[in-house]
Amino acid sequence: MNYLLVFAAGFAGSFHCLGMCGGFACALGRDPRGGHGATMLRHLLYNSGRLTSYCFLGVLAGALGQVICTRQGATVNLLGGSLNAAEQMLAIVAGLLMIAMALQFFGMLQAFHRLAIGFGSSTFATSLRSLLTTRSRAAPLAFGVFNGFLPCPLVYAFAAEAVSTGQALPGFLTMASFGLGTFPAMLMMGGVGRVLAPAWRQRGVWLAGSCILLLGIITLGRGILPFAAHMEHGWSGVHPV
Amino acid sequence: MTASDNMICSHCLLPVGLRAMRRAVNGEDCAFCCYGCCIAFQVKRGKSEEWEAAWLLVRLGVGGFLSMNIMLFSFLLYSDAFTGADARLVPWVHILLWIFATPTVIILGGPFLHETWVNGLQARLTSSALIVIGVGAAYLYSAFAVIERGHQVYFDTATMVLMLFTLGRLLEAAGRARAARDLEPLLAAERESVVVVQDGTEIRRPVREVEAGMLVRVRPGERIAIDGVVVEGESHADEAVITGESRLVTKAVGSPVVAGSINLDGPLLIQSSDAGTATRWAQICRSVREALIRRSPSQRVADRVVGVSVPLVLALGGLTVLYWAQWLAFDRSLLIGLSVLVVACPCAVGLAAPLAVSLGVGRLARRGCLVRDPAALEILARTRLLAFDKTGTLTAGKAHVVDIESDGVGADEVLARAAGLERHSEHGFAHAIIAAAATRGIEPVIARDVRIVPGRGIQGVVEGQAIAAGNGAMMGDLGWSLAPLLSNRGRSLEEAGYSVIYVGWDERVRGVLSLEDALLPEACSTINALRSRGLHITLLTGDLEVAAKRVAAAAGIDDVKAALSPEAKRAALKRHRTEHDAVAMVGDGLNDGPVLADADVGIAVGSATDLARETATVVLPPGGLSLLPWVIDVARAVRANILTNLMWAFGYNLLALTLAALGLLQPVLAAAVMAGSSILVVLNSLRLERLPDPASWQIPERASGAESARGGVGVLVALGPAIGRG
Repeated sequence: MNYLLVFAAGFAGSFHCLGMCGGFACALGRDPRGGHGATMLRHLLYNSGRLTSYCFLGVLAGALGQVICTRQGATVNLLGGSLNAAEQMLAIVAGLLMIAMALQFFGMLQAFHRLAIGFGSSTFATSLRSLLTTRSRAAPLAFGVFNGFLPCPLVYAFAAEAVSTGQALPGFLTMASFGLGTFPAMLMMGGVGRVLAPAWRQRGVWLAGSCILLLGIITLGRGILPFAAHMEHGWSGVHPV
Repeated sequence: MTASDNMICSHCLLPVGLRAMRRAVNGEDCAFCCYGCCIAFQVKRGKSEEWEAAWLLVRLGVGGFLSMNIMLFSFLLYSDAFTGADARLVPWVHILLWIFATPTVIILGGPFLHETWVNGLQARLTSSALIVIGVGAAYLYSAFAVIERGHQVYFDTATMVLMLFTLGRLLEAAGRARAARDLEPLLAAERESVVVVQDGTEIRRPVREVEAGMLVRVRPGERIAIDGVVVEGESHADEAVITGESRLVTKAVGSPVVAGSINLDGPLLIQSSDAGTATRWAQICRSVREALIRRSPSQRVADRVVGVSVPLVLALGGLTVLYWAQWLAFDRSLLIGLSVLVVACPCAVGLAAPLAVSLGVGRLARRGCLVRDPAALEILARTRLLAFDKTGTLTAGKAHVVDIESDGVGADEVLARAAGLERHSEHGFAHAIIAAAATRGIEPVIARDVRIVPGRGIQGVVEGQAIAAGNGAMMGDLGWSLAPLLSNRGRSLEEAGYSVIYVGWDERVRGVLSLEDALLPEACSTINALRSRGLHITLLTGDLEVAAKRVAAAAGIDDVKAALSPEAKRAALKRHRTEHDAVAMVGDGLNDGPVLADADVGIAVGSATDLARETATVVLPPGGLSLLPWVIDVARAVRANILTNLMWAFGYNLLALTLAALGLLQPVLAAAVMAGSSILVVLNSLRLERLPDPASWQIPERASGAESARGGVGVLVALGPAIGRG
């Protein structure tokens, strides 16, 4: 169920991405030589490159969470279920981070936004520009891979969520759901991007913000509320652990 | 020396050394010291239509895509996602991994393989050989395991190691480029072009084609590449690179400009006074380039260690595999061997010294301080004794009149007549007397039949009377009478170390002028600053003992050796060397060239000689004596930096090597650790960027009228009370 929410947030959030990644996707445009098939291939390659980066980040983040949790191995007994104290701390930190990201989507915490976006993105982005003009068929793939590592608040938020899962596989699944969620909008980008009215984009951004806020609150709750923790523990059927 | 020994990497400006790569970027022939610099340079500079720059990124991206997918699938394998009924899928996943891994190894490993091959042809083993052998072994074993349907493959290890090393080199290259920022304008000078105005048309030409007398237009924000005089326009210029002072100097029609300064806010039309290649700026640039090519002693040691360590590590890796194969499965022991190869890659050791040295040289060059040999920085840092020359170094090198005693006539009259005579002389004292007269607003009288008496003085006729100015011997020869008061005064001044000139006419000595070479205003604070850095200061001079003692006392130097011939100075330096290990000699580079060359580090202050013939290894800008403590600080920081870099690189390598040989370090982790160590060395070196600039009191106060500030005003102040007494 969490993954569905992540997917939805990814889908809604991808309208936000039109700002940065969408711009790239548009720039990728049509294949100058081939017809629709070649253009489709370009965008598929681009998006699978991006998805791979996200999944990789997810595994890394999950593994990081796992390392943190097993290092601080003190477990506490809560309402009969044992829950890792470090896991709780992780959930709280990740939850707060996600809420901060979400608020920023509503136009708050602008300083935070600058911190998140300004971090090395300009040099990175300029060096990527040369990739866009290359005629190589593999260029969109490489471009997607780098694009996946571009600083983006959405990616940060879900990476934080992935860390808080405390295991590599759920971390992977979180980022994969997010990446898949961004697929449809980004795939359509070549055509739709220019048509879509700014008002719709704004709505998408708000929707994404709401989803992240909701996820953040759930994550935070998982850390803070013993009850919620218990419930989450009860839900663990959702996690294929 | 092969050709590649003389090249500097186009990206990080370090010597390319043995690992040179050559590429044409933007139509220019470029050399790179490593693959990372090659990528980084092309990403930064390569025009987007250049195929290769983008191609490198494509390769990196595709390599990243494949290796990340390999990691993801391997991760699924490790987390036992394929158990039970899915277990039959495992061989198929292995084949999939093989399919992914093969292009990855080719794409990412290609440059390493190429490097190994090129060096191998010259019978050299480099660190990339370690990577190639390690990764090759892991890949081939895994491919073998796929065919044999083994249950474990290590494609993820092979590709991740390659990916991490490639990324590490890229990041390292980025750091090195940042280190080169200070040096870039210096090394760009030879390629620079200027806008030459000829018959009303503007043509862009290389600076080396500029000749004296040509008109050159310089736009605001551009660097002035020639020496010359402003003929049109008004602006401000920053001359920090040449004079060491970072402040705005106003430039208007008639102002001289120096090559290397930056034109800040207005267009200027400049008439060049010299050929484009003959400027001090061009000489500095050539000299910096030569310095960067030289290897410092610690660098030579490090290179030797790297050279020896590669075969050693290979042997160690082989032994590790053999040892562990007795206790573990072969694939496990192979992995341990791979860890050993990867972690022992001595990249950081080779990087330790050149990076710190080029940062230090660049930092100093930005303030006009030139280091001609990187070894000088390291020696200067451990020098405990600084020997100073007096004339022109601690003093202005120009005598000026400090006192006038007269007998029965006014001091002004003595000065007017002396100046009238001395106008016909080129002697240093003559200039001092004329300057003193000019400062006091005294018109020199007209002298005729002027004759110079060598070793004595000068004599002539004024208003029908014989007049003479010279030493006591001259007055004795002439047989002119000398009042006891003047005679005593003259003798006591001479004993105090002043130069004394008697002036007489009408067969009688009428006045005594005393002259001295005054201490520079910044000398005292500089000596104190040096002493507070734990340096022993000594004064070695050819001057008379009394004069030397007086200057030494004023500057705060206790240890004085005077009346030394150049040979005696060298002998004195030699004696000091036995006590203090390394000694540095500070001189003006004019009179003391041989002594400067003989010291462990020769430091010339404001040398006017041609830099190409300069014997000092460190050259400070004119009036840059006060920069000396800062130069010592930078040298010490550079040396400390090199030592920490080397300690870090060696210590880290040894520790990691031990862990790897004991089987405690995963190969991927080992690669990350190794890439990390190079990056840490780069970061540690970049700390040198944060060294403070010379404090404001240390910056030489050389405004447009600097010379008059030092000479003229000094005379005025010193003359005031003396004349009052006269």
